[in-house]
Amino acid sequence: MSSNADIVVKNLTKTYGRFPAVNNISFEVPRGSIVGFLGPNGAGKTTTIRMLTCFLPPTSGTASVAGFDVFSQSMEVRSRIGYLPENAPTYTEMRVQEYLAYRGRLRGISRSTLKQRVESVAEKCWLGERLRWPIGTLSKGYRQRLGIADALLNNPQVLILDEPTVGLDPTQIRETRKMLADLAGQHTVLLSTHILSEVELTCQRVIIIGRGQILAQGTPEELKQESARRNSSGAKLVVEVRGPTQQVKMALGAMPAVENVEVLSDGPVCTLSLSGKLDGALRELIASTVVGRGWALREMRTTGTSLEEFFVQITDPGTAMNQAA
Amino acid sequence: MLKTFTIARRELMGLFFSPVAYVVLVVYLLFVGLLFALLVFSPGAVADPGPMFAWNHLALMFVVPFITMALFSEEYRSGRIETLRTSPISDFSIVLGKFLGALAFYCVIIGSSLVYILILSAFGRPDFMPVLTSYFGLVLMGMLMLSIGLFFSACTQHQVLAAISSCAVLVAFGILFQAIGGLLGSIISQPPAWLNTVQRVMTYMSFEPQMQHFSMGLVDTSHVAFFLTGTFFFLMLTYLVLESRKWR
Repeated sequence: MSSNADIVVKNLTKTYGRFPAVNNISFEVPRGSIVGFLGPNGAGKTTTIRMLTCFLPPTSGTASVAGFDVFSQSMEVRSRIGYLPENAPTYTEMRVQEYLAYRGRLRGISRSTLKQRVESVAEKCWLGERLRWPIGTLSKGYRQRLGIADALLNNPQVLILDEPTVGLDPTQIRETRKMLADLAGQHTVLLSTHILSEVELTCQRVIIIGRGQILAQGTPEELKQESARRNSSGAKLVVEVRGPTQQVKMALGAMPAVENVEVLSDGPVCTLSLSGKLDGALRELIASTVVGRGWALREMRTTGTSLEEFFVQITDPGTAMNQAA
Repeated sequence: MLKTFTIARRELMGLFFSPVAYVVLVVYLLFVGLLFALLVFSPGAVADPGPMFAWNHLALMFVVPFITMALFSEEYRSGRIETLRTSPISDFSIVLGKFLGALAFYCVIIGSSLVYILILSAFGRPDFMPVLTSYFGLVLMGMLMLSIGLFFSACTQHQVLAAISSCAVLVAFGILFQAIGGLLGSIISQPPAWLNTVQRVMTYMSFEPQMQHFSMGLVDTSHVAFFLTGTFFFLMLTYLVLESRKWR
Protein backbone atom coordinates (compact mmCIF):
# COMPACT_ATOMS: atom_id res chain seq x y z
CA MET A 1 0.00 0.00 0.00
CA SER A 2 2.89 2.34 0.81
CA SER A 3 3.91 2.78 -2.80
CA ASN A 4 0.37 3.65 -3.71
CA ALA A 5 -0.28 6.07 -0.85
CA ASP A 6 -0.11 9.82 -1.26
CA ILE A 7 -0.01 10.59 2.44
CA VAL A 8 2.06 8.38 4.71
CA VAL A 9 2.24 9.26 8.40
CA LYS A 10 4.46 7.28 10.74
CA ASN A 11 4.58 7.73 14.52
CA LEU A 12 3.90 11.42 14.18
CA THR A 13 4.02 13.41 17.41
CA LYS A 14 3.64 17.10 18.16
CA THR A 15 3.90 18.52 21.64
CA TYR A 16 3.20 22.09 22.69
CA GLY A 17 5.36 22.52 25.75
CA ARG A 18 4.48 19.38 27.68
CA PHE A 19 1.06 18.93 26.14
CA PRO A 20 0.97 16.28 23.43
CA ALA A 21 -1.43 17.67 20.82
CA VAL A 22 -0.75 14.73 18.50
CA ASN A 23 0.60 11.60 20.07
CA ASN A 24 2.32 8.96 17.97
CA ILE A 25 -0.18 8.58 15.15
CA SER A 26 0.25 6.56 11.96
CA PHE A 27 -2.00 6.32 8.95
CA GLU A 28 -1.98 6.26 5.16
CA VAL A 29 -4.17 7.81 2.52
CA PRO A 30 -4.29 5.87 -0.75
CA ARG A 31 -3.87 7.76 -4.02
CA GLY A 32 -7.08 9.10 -5.51
CA SER A 33 -9.26 8.45 -2.49
CA ILE A 34 -11.24 10.76 -0.23
CA VAL A 35 -10.45 10.19 3.39
CA GLY A 36 -12.36 11.81 6.22
CA PHE A 37 -10.34 13.00 9.18
CA LEU A 38 -12.77 13.06 12.03
CA GLY A 39 -12.55 14.18 15.60
CA PRO A 40 -14.05 16.40 18.25
CA ASN A 41 -12.74 19.93 18.66
CA GLY A 42 -9.25 20.00 20.09
CA ALA A 43 -8.52 16.39 19.11
CA GLY A 44 -5.42 17.28 17.09
CA LYS A 45 -6.94 17.42 13.60
CA THR A 46 -5.65 20.87 12.74
CA THR A 47 -2.24 20.20 14.27
CA THR A 48 -1.87 17.06 12.17
CA ILE A 49 -2.95 18.92 9.05
CA ARG A 50 -0.52 21.74 9.79
CA MET A 51 2.30 19.22 9.97
CA LEU A 52 1.22 17.65 6.67
CA THR A 53 1.17 21.06 4.98
CA CYS A 54 4.66 21.93 6.29
CA PHE A 55 3.31 24.76 8.45
CA LEU A 56 4.48 23.12 11.68
CA PRO A 57 7.45 20.79 12.04
CA PRO A 58 6.72 17.51 13.84
CA THR A 59 8.27 16.95 17.27
CA SER A 60 9.04 13.38 16.27
CA GLY A 61 8.01 10.86 13.66
CA THR A 62 7.78 11.33 9.91
CA ALA A 63 5.18 12.24 7.37
CA SER A 64 5.40 12.23 3.61
CA VAL A 65 3.00 13.82 1.17
CA ALA A 66 3.03 12.99 -2.55
CA GLY A 67 6.19 10.98 -1.91
CA PHE A 68 8.17 13.82 -0.32
CA ASP A 69 9.09 14.30 3.32
CA VAL A 70 7.27 17.25 4.88
CA PHE A 71 10.31 18.35 6.84
CA SER A 72 13.30 17.85 4.56
CA GLN A 73 11.54 18.32 1.19
CA SER A 74 9.08 20.97 2.22
CA MET A 75 9.15 22.94 -1.07
CA GLU A 76 8.36 19.84 -3.12
CA VAL A 77 5.47 19.02 -0.82
CA ARG A 78 4.15 22.57 -0.83
CA SER A 79 4.11 22.78 -4.61
CA ARG A 80 2.09 19.55 -4.84
CA ILE A 81 -0.62 20.26 -2.29
CA GLY A 82 -3.70 22.41 -2.25
CA TYR A 83 -4.60 23.51 1.24
CA LEU A 84 -7.72 25.13 2.61
CA PRO A 85 -7.02 26.30 6.16
CA GLU A 86 -9.78 26.66 8.71
CA ASN A 87 -11.92 29.77 8.03
CA ALA A 88 -10.32 30.25 4.59
CA PRO A 89 -8.54 33.54 5.31
CA THR A 90 -8.04 35.92 2.35
CA TYR A 91 -7.24 39.57 1.66
CA THR A 92 -10.63 41.26 1.90
CA GLU A 93 -9.63 44.33 -0.09
CA MET A 94 -8.73 42.33 -3.20
CA ARG A 95 -11.10 41.24 -5.92
CA VAL A 96 -11.74 37.53 -6.43
CA GLN A 97 -9.94 37.42 -9.77
CA GLU A 98 -7.00 39.45 -8.48
CA TYR A 99 -6.66 37.24 -5.45
CA LEU A 100 -6.68 34.04 -7.47
CA ALA A 101 -4.12 35.47 -9.88
CA TYR A 102 -1.94 36.54 -6.95
CA ARG A 103 -2.17 33.09 -5.37
CA GLY A 104 -1.44 31.48 -8.71
CA ARG A 105 1.73 33.48 -9.17
CA LEU A 106 2.83 32.67 -5.62
CA ARG A 107 2.32 29.01 -6.34
CA GLY A 108 4.44 29.18 -9.43
CA ILE A 109 1.84 28.90 -12.17
CA SER A 110 3.31 30.21 -15.41
CA ARG A 111 2.00 33.46 -16.84
CA SER A 112 0.67 31.77 -19.97
CA THR A 113 -1.58 29.32 -18.16
CA LEU A 114 -2.55 31.52 -15.22
CA LYS A 115 -5.63 33.14 -16.78
CA GLN A 116 -6.97 29.81 -17.96
CA ARG A 117 -6.36 28.17 -14.55
CA VAL A 118 -8.12 31.00 -12.71
CA GLU A 119 -11.14 30.72 -15.00
CA SER A 120 -11.22 26.97 -14.70
CA VAL A 121 -11.18 26.86 -10.87
CA ALA A 122 -13.65 29.74 -10.67
CA GLU A 123 -16.03 27.74 -12.82
CA LYS A 124 -15.51 24.59 -10.78
CA CYS A 125 -16.30 26.43 -7.55
CA TRP A 126 -19.24 28.44 -8.95
CA LEU A 127 -17.45 31.73 -8.58
CA GLY A 128 -17.95 32.79 -12.19
CA GLU A 129 -20.32 35.68 -11.63
CA ARG A 130 -18.38 36.95 -8.60
CA LEU A 131 -14.96 37.27 -10.23
CA ARG A 132 -14.98 41.09 -10.16
CA TRP A 133 -16.32 41.39 -6.61
CA PRO A 134 -14.15 42.60 -3.74
CA ILE A 135 -13.69 39.65 -1.36
CA GLY A 136 -14.86 41.78 1.59
CA THR A 137 -18.36 41.93 0.10
CA LEU A 138 -18.69 38.16 -0.37
CA SER A 139 -20.73 35.97 1.94
CA LYS A 140 -19.09 33.30 4.09
CA GLY A 141 -20.13 30.63 1.62
CA TYR A 142 -18.48 32.37 -1.30
CA ARG A 143 -15.31 32.95 0.69
CA GLN A 144 -15.18 29.28 1.54
CA ARG A 145 -15.54 28.45 -2.16
CA LEU A 146 -12.80 30.94 -2.95
CA GLY A 147 -10.57 29.09 -0.50
CA ILE A 148 -11.32 25.81 -2.24
CA ALA A 149 -10.69 27.45 -5.63
CA ASP A 150 -7.33 28.64 -4.31
CA ALA A 151 -6.49 25.13 -3.15
CA LEU A 152 -7.30 23.77 -6.63
CA LEU A 153 -5.34 26.41 -8.56
CA ASN A 154 -2.19 24.42 -9.21
CA ASN A 155 -4.16 21.24 -9.91
CA PRO A 156 -2.56 19.62 -6.87
CA GLN A 157 -1.90 15.95 -6.44
CA VAL A 158 -3.08 16.14 -2.83
CA LEU A 159 -5.87 18.30 -1.46
CA ILE A 160 -6.03 18.97 2.25
CA LEU A 161 -9.21 20.67 3.39
CA ASP A 162 -9.77 21.78 6.97
CA GLU A 163 -13.51 21.90 7.62
CA PRO A 164 -14.55 22.92 4.11
CA THR A 165 -18.28 23.12 4.83
CA VAL A 166 -18.14 25.22 7.98
CA GLY A 167 -20.46 28.22 7.69
CA LEU A 168 -22.19 27.06 4.54
CA ASP A 169 -25.94 26.75 4.19
CA PRO A 170 -27.50 23.33 3.48
CA THR A 171 -27.64 23.87 -0.28
CA GLN A 172 -24.02 24.94 -0.41
CA ILE A 173 -23.01 21.99 1.76
CA ARG A 174 -24.69 19.66 -0.70
CA GLU A 175 -22.98 21.41 -3.63
CA THR A 176 -19.60 21.22 -1.92
CA ARG A 177 -20.09 17.52 -1.31
CA LYS A 178 -20.91 17.02 -4.95
CA MET A 179 -17.79 18.91 -5.89
CA LEU A 180 -15.64 16.81 -3.55
CA ALA A 181 -17.08 13.65 -5.05
CA ASP A 182 -16.08 14.96 -8.50
CA LEU A 183 -12.57 15.67 -7.27
CA ALA A 184 -11.96 12.12 -6.06
CA GLY A 185 -10.01 10.10 -8.53
CA GLN A 186 -8.18 13.13 -9.91
CA HIS A 187 -6.87 14.18 -6.50
CA THR A 188 -6.15 12.56 -3.18
CA VAL A 189 -8.32 14.33 -0.65
CA LEU A 190 -7.90 14.52 3.11
CA LEU A 191 -10.96 16.15 4.57
CA SER A 192 -11.12 17.24 8.17
CA THR A 193 -14.52 17.70 9.69
CA HIS A 194 -16.64 17.03 12.72
CA ILE A 195 -19.84 16.67 10.72
CA LEU A 196 -20.54 12.96 10.57
CA SER A 197 -23.13 12.89 7.86
CA GLU A 198 -20.61 14.56 5.60
CA VAL A 199 -18.14 11.77 6.13
CA GLU A 200 -20.73 9.06 5.62
CA LEU A 201 -21.75 10.61 2.32
CA THR A 202 -18.43 11.60 0.77
CA CYS A 203 -15.58 9.61 2.24
CA GLN A 204 -14.32 6.21 1.25
CA ARG A 205 -12.33 5.88 4.44
CA VAL A 206 -12.55 7.47 7.85
CA ILE A 207 -9.85 8.15 10.41
CA ILE A 208 -11.15 9.07 13.84
CA ILE A 209 -8.79 10.99 16.09
CA GLY A 210 -9.32 11.96 19.69
CA ARG A 211 -7.01 13.35 22.39
CA GLY A 212 -4.14 13.25 19.91
CA GLN A 213 -4.48 9.58 19.10
CA ILE A 214 -6.08 7.55 16.36
CA LEU A 215 -9.11 5.85 17.83
CA ALA A 216 -10.36 3.99 14.78
CA GLN A 217 -9.98 3.84 11.03
CA GLY A 218 -11.74 2.05 8.19
CA THR A 219 -14.58 2.48 5.74
CA PRO A 220 -17.78 4.01 7.17
CA GLU A 221 -19.41 0.54 6.84
CA GLU A 222 -16.60 -1.15 8.76
CA LEU A 223 -16.85 1.39 11.52
CA LYS A 224 -20.58 0.85 11.81
CA GLN A 225 -20.04 -2.88 12.09
CA GLU A 226 -17.32 -2.31 14.63
CA SER A 227 -19.75 -0.19 16.56
CA ALA A 228 -22.33 -2.96 16.49
CA ARG A 229 -19.73 -5.50 17.65
CA ARG A 230 -18.38 -3.37 20.48
CA ASN A 231 -21.74 -2.33 21.64
CA SER A 232 -23.72 -5.54 21.11
CA SER A 233 -26.00 -4.72 24.02
CA GLY A 234 -26.65 -1.33 22.52
CA ALA A 235 -27.48 -2.52 19.00
CA LYS A 236 -31.10 -3.52 18.62
CA LEU A 237 -33.28 -4.86 15.86
CA VAL A 238 -36.72 -3.27 16.00
CA VAL A 239 -39.46 -5.32 14.30
CA GLU A 240 -43.00 -4.14 13.71
CA VAL A 241 -45.51 -6.95 13.00
CA ARG A 242 -49.31 -7.17 12.64
CA GLY A 243 -50.16 -10.27 14.65
CA PRO A 244 -50.83 -11.65 18.15
CA THR A 245 -48.13 -10.14 20.37
CA GLN A 246 -47.37 -13.16 22.59
CA GLN A 247 -47.12 -15.61 19.70
CA VAL A 248 -44.88 -13.28 17.75
CA LYS A 249 -42.68 -12.83 20.79
CA MET A 250 -42.36 -16.60 21.30
CA ALA A 251 -41.66 -17.26 17.64
CA LEU A 252 -38.91 -14.67 17.49
CA GLY A 253 -37.49 -15.56 20.88
CA ALA A 254 -37.12 -19.16 19.78
CA MET A 255 -34.57 -18.24 17.13
CA PRO A 256 -31.06 -19.26 18.20
CA ALA A 257 -29.42 -15.93 17.29
CA VAL A 258 -31.83 -13.94 19.43
CA GLU A 259 -30.80 -13.45 23.03
CA ASN A 260 -33.53 -11.23 24.31
CA VAL A 261 -36.92 -9.99 23.14
CA GLU A 262 -38.63 -6.96 24.54
CA VAL A 263 -42.14 -5.75 23.70
CA LEU A 264 -42.14 -2.06 22.99
CA SER A 265 -45.82 -1.69 22.09
CA ASP A 266 -48.81 -3.99 22.21
CA GLY A 267 -51.99 -4.14 20.15
CA PRO A 268 -53.07 -5.39 16.74
CA VAL A 269 -49.70 -4.13 15.51
CA CYS A 270 -46.90 -4.93 17.93
CA THR A 271 -43.36 -3.60 18.05
CA LEU A 272 -40.57 -5.76 19.44
CA SER A 273 -36.97 -5.03 20.11
CA LEU A 274 -34.46 -7.86 19.68
CA SER A 275 -30.87 -8.13 20.77
CA GLY A 276 -28.30 -10.80 20.04
CA LYS A 277 -26.33 -11.69 16.94
CA LEU A 278 -28.08 -9.33 14.57
CA ASP A 279 -26.84 -10.25 11.11
CA GLY A 280 -28.45 -10.44 7.71
CA ALA A 281 -29.33 -14.10 8.07
CA LEU A 282 -31.38 -13.36 11.15
CA ARG A 283 -33.31 -10.65 9.37
CA GLU A 284 -34.11 -13.01 6.50
CA LEU A 285 -35.22 -15.68 8.91
CA ILE A 286 -37.50 -13.25 10.75
CA ALA A 287 -39.06 -12.08 7.48
CA SER A 288 -39.78 -15.61 6.27
CA THR A 289 -41.09 -16.74 9.67
CA VAL A 290 -43.46 -13.79 10.05
CA VAL A 291 -44.81 -14.15 6.54
CA GLY A 292 -45.01 -17.96 6.88
CA ARG A 293 -47.23 -17.66 9.93
CA GLY A 294 -49.60 -15.42 8.06
CA TRP A 295 -48.71 -12.27 9.97
CA ALA A 296 -47.69 -9.05 8.24
CA LEU A 297 -44.19 -7.60 8.55
CA ARG A 298 -44.41 -3.83 8.58
CA GLU A 299 -40.93 -2.66 9.40
CA MET A 300 -37.52 -3.92 10.46
CA ARG A 301 -34.63 -1.59 11.39
CA THR A 302 -31.42 -1.65 13.40
CA THR A 303 -30.69 1.04 15.95
CA GLY A 304 -27.56 1.90 17.87
CA THR A 305 -25.12 1.32 15.01
CA SER A 306 -24.85 4.72 13.36
CA LEU A 307 -21.47 6.30 12.80
CA GLU A 308 -22.53 9.06 15.12
CA GLU A 309 -23.09 6.70 18.03
CA PHE A 310 -19.76 5.05 17.33
CA PHE A 311 -18.07 8.44 17.24
CA VAL A 312 -19.59 9.52 20.55
CA GLN A 313 -18.75 6.16 22.06
CA ILE A 314 -15.05 6.18 21.21
CA THR A 315 -14.31 9.86 21.61
CA ASP A 316 -16.00 10.18 24.98
CA PRO A 317 -13.25 10.26 27.63
CA GLY A 318 -15.45 8.30 30.08
CA THR A 319 -15.75 5.24 27.84
CA ALA A 320 -12.10 5.29 26.99
CA MET A 321 -11.18 5.21 30.64
CA ASN A 322 -13.53 2.31 31.26
CA GLN A 323 -11.90 0.37 28.46
CA ALA A 324 -8.45 1.08 29.81
CA ALA A 325 -9.44 -0.09 33.29
CA MET B 1 12.66 36.19 -7.09
CA LEU B 2 9.49 36.51 -9.17
CA LYS B 3 7.47 35.45 -6.15
CA THR B 4 9.21 38.08 -4.02
CA PHE B 5 7.95 40.74 -6.42
CA THR B 6 4.50 39.19 -6.40
CA ILE B 7 4.40 39.67 -2.64
CA ALA B 8 5.89 43.17 -2.88
CA ARG B 9 3.24 44.16 -5.42
CA ARG B 10 0.45 42.88 -3.23
CA GLU B 11 1.74 44.69 -0.17
CA LEU B 12 2.05 47.94 -2.10
CA MET B 13 -1.52 47.52 -3.30
CA GLY B 14 -2.70 46.60 0.20
CA LEU B 15 -1.09 49.76 1.61
CA PHE B 16 -2.82 51.94 -0.96
CA PHE B 17 -6.13 50.31 -0.08
CA SER B 18 -5.83 51.10 3.61
CA PRO B 19 -7.05 54.48 4.87
CA VAL B 20 -4.05 54.68 7.20
CA ALA B 21 -1.81 55.21 4.20
CA TYR B 22 -3.53 58.42 3.20
CA VAL B 23 -3.53 59.79 6.73
CA VAL B 24 0.18 59.07 6.90
CA LEU B 25 0.75 60.79 3.56
CA VAL B 26 -1.12 63.91 4.69
CA VAL B 27 0.70 64.06 8.03
CA TYR B 28 4.06 63.76 6.30
CA LEU B 29 3.27 66.44 3.72
CA LEU B 30 2.04 68.79 6.44
CA PHE B 31 5.20 68.31 8.47
CA VAL B 32 7.55 68.76 5.52
CA GLY B 33 5.44 71.75 4.41
CA LEU B 34 5.97 73.26 7.83
CA LEU B 35 9.74 72.75 7.61
CA PHE B 36 9.67 74.21 4.12
CA ALA B 37 7.72 77.29 5.17
CA LEU B 38 9.75 77.94 8.31
CA LEU B 39 13.30 77.00 7.31
CA VAL B 40 13.52 77.21 3.53
CA PHE B 41 10.97 79.39 1.86
CA SER B 42 11.65 83.01 2.75
CA PRO B 43 12.17 86.05 0.53
CA GLY B 44 15.75 86.83 -0.26
CA ALA B 45 17.11 83.61 1.27
CA VAL B 46 19.36 81.17 -0.57
CA ALA B 47 17.32 78.56 -2.45
CA ASP B 48 18.66 75.70 -0.34
CA PRO B 49 16.15 72.96 0.55
CA GLY B 50 18.73 71.29 2.83
CA PRO B 51 17.11 72.08 6.22
CA MET B 52 13.87 70.58 4.98
CA PHE B 53 15.56 67.22 4.45
CA ALA B 54 17.77 67.34 7.50
CA TRP B 55 14.76 67.17 9.85
CA ASN B 56 12.63 64.77 7.83
CA HIS B 57 13.37 61.89 10.20
CA LEU B 58 11.34 63.59 12.94
CA ALA B 59 8.19 62.94 10.92
CA LEU B 60 9.30 59.67 9.41
CA MET B 61 9.94 58.00 12.75
CA PHE B 62 6.22 58.33 13.43
CA VAL B 63 5.13 57.65 9.85
CA VAL B 64 7.07 54.45 9.20
CA PRO B 65 5.54 52.39 12.06
CA PHE B 66 2.13 52.97 10.48
CA ILE B 67 3.38 51.60 7.17
CA THR B 68 4.95 48.49 8.66
CA MET B 69 2.69 47.62 11.60
CA ALA B 70 0.27 45.41 9.67
CA LEU B 71 2.76 43.68 7.38
CA PHE B 72 3.10 40.54 9.51
CA SER B 73 0.78 41.21 12.48
CA GLU B 74 -2.30 41.19 10.29
CA GLU B 75 -1.18 37.97 8.59
CA TYR B 76 -0.90 36.27 11.97
CA ARG B 77 -4.19 37.63 13.28
CA SER B 78 -6.23 36.72 10.20
CA GLY B 79 -4.61 33.31 9.73
CA ARG B 80 -3.39 34.21 6.23
CA ILE B 81 0.11 33.37 7.40
CA GLU B 82 -0.95 29.76 6.97
CA THR B 83 -1.84 30.12 3.29
CA LEU B 84 1.33 32.12 2.78
CA ARG B 85 3.73 29.74 4.47
CA THR B 86 2.23 26.61 2.98
CA SER B 87 2.79 28.04 -0.51
CA PRO B 88 6.01 27.03 -2.25
CA ILE B 89 7.90 30.16 -1.28
CA SER B 90 10.80 30.60 1.11
CA ASP B 91 10.50 32.59 4.32
CA PHE B 92 13.21 34.95 3.20
CA SER B 93 11.30 35.74 0.01
CA ILE B 94 8.28 36.58 2.15
CA VAL B 95 10.33 38.92 4.35
CA LEU B 96 12.05 40.53 1.38
CA GLY B 97 8.80 40.86 -0.58
CA LYS B 98 7.06 42.63 2.25
CA PHE B 99 10.06 44.86 2.80
CA LEU B 100 10.23 45.86 -0.86
CA GLY B 101 6.48 46.53 -1.00
CA ALA B 102 6.75 48.81 2.03
CA LEU B 103 9.85 50.48 0.57
CA ALA B 104 7.98 51.26 -2.65
CA PHE B 105 5.19 52.85 -0.64
CA TYR B 106 7.74 54.79 1.44
CA CYS B 107 9.31 56.10 -1.77
CA VAL B 108 5.90 57.36 -2.91
CA ILE B 109 5.52 59.18 0.40
CA ILE B 110 8.91 60.87 0.41
CA GLY B 111 8.52 61.49 -3.32
CA SER B 112 5.48 63.61 -2.55
CA SER B 113 7.81 66.20 -1.00
CA LEU B 114 9.11 66.93 -4.52
CA VAL B 115 6.18 69.35 -4.68
CA TYR B 116 8.13 71.72 -2.43
CA ILE B 117 11.23 71.45 -4.61
CA LEU B 118 9.09 72.38 -7.58
CA ILE B 119 7.75 75.41 -5.72
CA LEU B 120 11.28 76.39 -4.75
CA SER B 121 12.57 76.08 -8.30
CA ALA B 122 9.73 78.28 -9.49
CA PHE B 123 11.10 81.11 -7.36
CA GLY B 124 14.82 80.43 -7.36
CA ARG B 125 17.53 78.18 -8.74
CA PRO B 126 18.28 75.50 -6.14
CA ASP B 127 21.27 73.21 -6.59
CA PHE B 128 19.86 69.83 -7.56
CA MET B 129 22.80 67.65 -6.55
CA PRO B 130 22.18 68.04 -2.78
CA VAL B 131 18.49 67.33 -3.46
CA LEU B 132 19.53 64.07 -5.11
CA THR B 133 21.83 63.07 -2.24
CA SER B 134 19.10 64.04 0.23
CA TYR B 135 16.65 61.68 -1.40
CA PHE B 136 19.35 59.02 -1.53
CA GLY B 137 19.87 59.51 2.22
CA LEU B 138 16.14 59.43 2.88
CA VAL B 139 15.80 56.12 1.02
CA LEU B 140 18.72 54.62 2.96
CA MET B 141 17.33 55.81 6.29
CA GLY B 142 13.88 54.58 5.24
CA MET B 143 15.29 51.11 4.59
CA LEU B 144 16.59 50.90 8.14
CA MET B 145 13.38 52.32 9.60
CA LEU B 146 11.20 49.94 7.60
CA SER B 147 13.28 46.92 8.54
CA ILE B 148 12.94 47.84 12.21
CA GLY B 149 9.18 48.22 11.76
CA LEU B 150 9.00 44.93 9.88
CA PHE B 151 10.87 43.18 12.69
CA PHE B 152 8.40 44.35 15.34
CA SER B 153 5.46 43.47 13.13
CA ALA B 154 6.82 39.94 12.85
CA CYS B 155 7.03 39.73 16.65
CA THR B 156 3.36 40.15 17.49
CA GLN B 157 -0.12 39.73 16.12
CA HIS B 158 -1.17 43.06 17.59
CA GLN B 159 -0.66 45.89 15.12
CA VAL B 160 -0.77 48.59 17.78
CA LEU B 161 1.90 46.86 19.83
CA ALA B 162 4.08 46.55 16.73
CA ALA B 163 3.60 50.23 15.91
CA ILE B 164 4.39 51.42 19.43
CA SER B 165 7.51 49.25 19.82
CA SER B 166 8.95 50.23 16.46
CA CYS B 167 8.13 53.86 17.18
CA ALA B 168 10.04 53.65 20.46
CA VAL B 169 13.15 52.27 18.75
CA LEU B 170 12.95 54.82 15.94
CA VAL B 171 12.64 57.65 18.44
CA ALA B 172 15.77 56.29 20.10
CA PHE B 173 17.65 56.50 16.80
CA GLY B 174 16.04 59.79 15.89
CA ILE B 175 16.37 61.80 19.11
CA LEU B 176 17.38 59.81 22.16
CA PHE B 177 20.87 58.60 21.27
CA GLN B 178 21.95 62.05 20.25
CA ALA B 179 20.39 63.64 23.31
CA ILE B 180 22.13 61.19 25.64
CA GLY B 181 25.40 61.73 23.80
CA GLY B 182 25.04 65.50 24.15
CA LEU B 183 24.03 65.21 27.79
CA LEU B 184 27.02 63.05 28.67
CA GLY B 185 29.33 65.59 27.11
CA SER B 186 27.81 68.55 28.89
CA ILE B 187 27.48 67.32 32.47
CA ILE B 188 30.91 65.73 32.83
CA SER B 189 33.62 68.32 32.41
CA GLN B 190 36.57 65.99 31.84
CA PRO B 191 35.06 62.75 30.56
CA PRO B 192 37.19 59.57 30.66
CA ALA B 193 38.16 57.99 27.36
CA TRP B 194 35.53 55.27 27.42
CA LEU B 195 32.79 57.83 27.90
CA ASN B 196 34.07 59.69 24.88
CA THR B 197 33.76 56.48 22.92
CA VAL B 198 30.20 55.94 24.13
CA GLN B 199 29.36 59.48 23.12
CA ARG B 200 30.86 59.00 19.68
CA VAL B 201 28.94 55.76 19.13
CA MET B 202 25.71 57.40 20.26
CA THR B 203 26.19 60.24 17.83
CA TYR B 204 27.18 57.88 15.03
CA MET B 205 23.95 55.91 15.47
CA SER B 206 21.73 59.00 15.43
CA PHE B 207 19.79 59.89 12.32
CA GLU B 208 20.18 63.63 12.57
CA PRO B 209 23.94 64.10 11.98
CA GLN B 210 23.78 61.57 9.16
CA MET B 211 20.88 63.33 7.49
CA GLN B 212 22.63 66.68 7.89
CA HIS B 213 25.47 65.32 5.79
CA PHE B 214 23.22 63.93 3.09
CA SER B 215 21.25 67.19 2.89
CA MET B 216 24.49 69.12 2.35
CA GLY B 217 25.31 66.88 -0.59
CA LEU B 218 27.80 64.72 1.31
CA VAL B 219 27.64 60.98 0.74
CA ASP B 220 29.76 59.48 3.50
CA THR B 221 30.50 55.77 3.06
CA SER B 222 30.30 55.22 6.81
CA HIS B 223 26.72 56.48 6.79
CA VAL B 224 25.79 54.36 3.79
CA ALA B 225 27.37 51.37 5.51
CA PHE B 226 25.50 52.12 8.73
CA PHE B 227 22.09 52.14 7.06
CA LEU B 228 22.77 49.12 4.84
CA THR B 229 24.17 46.91 7.61
CA GLY B 230 21.39 48.02 9.94
CA THR B 231 18.77 47.11 7.35
CA PHE B 232 20.38 43.75 6.72
CA PHE B 233 20.59 43.08 10.46
CA PHE B 234 16.92 43.77 11.10
CA LEU B 235 15.79 41.86 7.99
CA MET B 236 17.76 38.86 9.23
CA LEU B 237 16.20 39.25 12.68
CA THR B 238 12.75 39.33 11.07
CA TYR B 239 13.56 36.17 9.17
CA LEU B 240 14.73 34.48 12.37
CA VAL B 241 11.59 35.51 14.23
CA LEU B 242 9.46 34.12 11.42
CA GLU B 243 11.41 30.86 11.43
CA SER B 244 11.28 30.55 15.20
CA ARG B 245 7.48 30.84 15.26
CA LYS B 246 7.34 27.37 13.78
CA TRP B 247 9.01 25.83 16.76
CA ARG B 248 6.82 27.28 19.45
